[in-house]
Amino acid sequence: MKEEKKMNLAIVTIATCLSIGAGIAIAKDAGTTPSITPKAMADALHLVMDSDRAVYTKRIVNRLVKKEKVIKASEHFEDDKALVLPAQMFRFGAEMVAKRAEEKPDVNFSYSLQSLWPINKQNAPKTDVEKEGLKFVAENKGQNYYATEELGGTEYFTAVYADTAVAPVCVSCHNDHKDTPKRDFKMGDVMGGVVIRIPISG
Amino acid sequence: MITKSTLIFICILFGSTQALSEEDTYVHFEQANLVQGRVIWIDSCEGCHAYGIAESPNPLKAKDWQDRVVKPIDILYDHAINGFFGPEDTMMPPRGGNDSLSDNEVKLAVDYMKALAEYYINKEDN
Ligand code: HEC
Repeated sequence: MKEEKKMNLAIVTIATCLSIGAGIAIAKDAGTTPSITPKAMADALHLVMDSDRAVYTKRIVNRLVKKEKVIKASEHFEDDKALVLPAQMFRFGAEMVAKRAEEKPDVNFSYSLQSLWPINKQNAPKTDVEKEGLKFVAENKGQNYYATEELGGTEYFTAVYADTAVAPVCVSCHNDHKDTPKRDFKMGDVMGGVVIRIPISG
Repeated sequence: MITKSTLIFICILFGSTQALSEEDTYVHFEQANLVQGRVIWIDSCEGCHAYGIAESPNPLKAKDWQDRVVKPIDILYDHAINGFFGPEDTMMPPRGGNDSLSDNEVKLAVDYMKALAEYYINKEDN
């Protein structure tokens, strides 16, 4: 009798181990098997970055600068001892992601804030898809642009999302800046776009 | 593999079916104040309000305006002229950021946006 019990216990233990093993195998698989489309991936990334910046704009800049008036936000935030502008916050995030991603070979997407009317020429579109995408989102408000492009032998999925003037400071800073190529932006205008690029072939 | 041109085609197709013309969407009302208000609203307010930019309430969406059309009109005028912060620190900038608008012009734009919101709320109710 005792032997039988031991045997049963052994079978249960083996079965449990096997099923846990299978569970681990499935979980491992989910991390390596593509189960999300590049479009869904790009949309999700954009949702996160856009929401983070919106929260910074509302909860920090609007509240402390506009409502409570206890601090300023300025492009020259160091000299002025001020808050960084939401657009700068976004750009610093993109730069940090690019740097950290260098050490993660399987994390190879990139994103940037670009414009057809950049204050800094470095932020002008470079590829044809970027140019087409920025033009598309500026002319078709409320819509995103998706395309594939081949760069240096790799195929990429590229998504472009409109970036819009949400506060008077966006408009005044761009219209009045000495290096701006466009001086007639209005509130709610598309000023540029977020470009997200994901490799889809090695 | 979906090619670039197919994707662009899909975008264009989607765009053409989705975008109703401005003429149909931004209803023409007959009252003189709303005729003037429509022009000002399209020029200075539509860029945010018709797309929910910066979490602005969209008059084409009944749920966005249900709680606002019932506010006294003087409060809506005051919030549009002097600016207004929502409970989550969303910001309606004074005069929608267009300092060249007179108080009266902002009020006309508010009249139009309220009428448009009421139109879409009634449409949903029927
Ligand atoms: C930068 C984008 C932007 C522009 C441009 C803009 N608004 Fe707004 N507006 C907002 C936001 C955001 C809110 C919502 C604030 C809240 O309640 O959270 C708002 C709310 C309002 C409200 C509702 C206030 C209330 O008490 O509920 C009115 C009325 C209004 N805007 C009028 C206007 C008029 C008129 C114009 C054009 C002259 C205009 N807005 C342009 C962003 C904008």
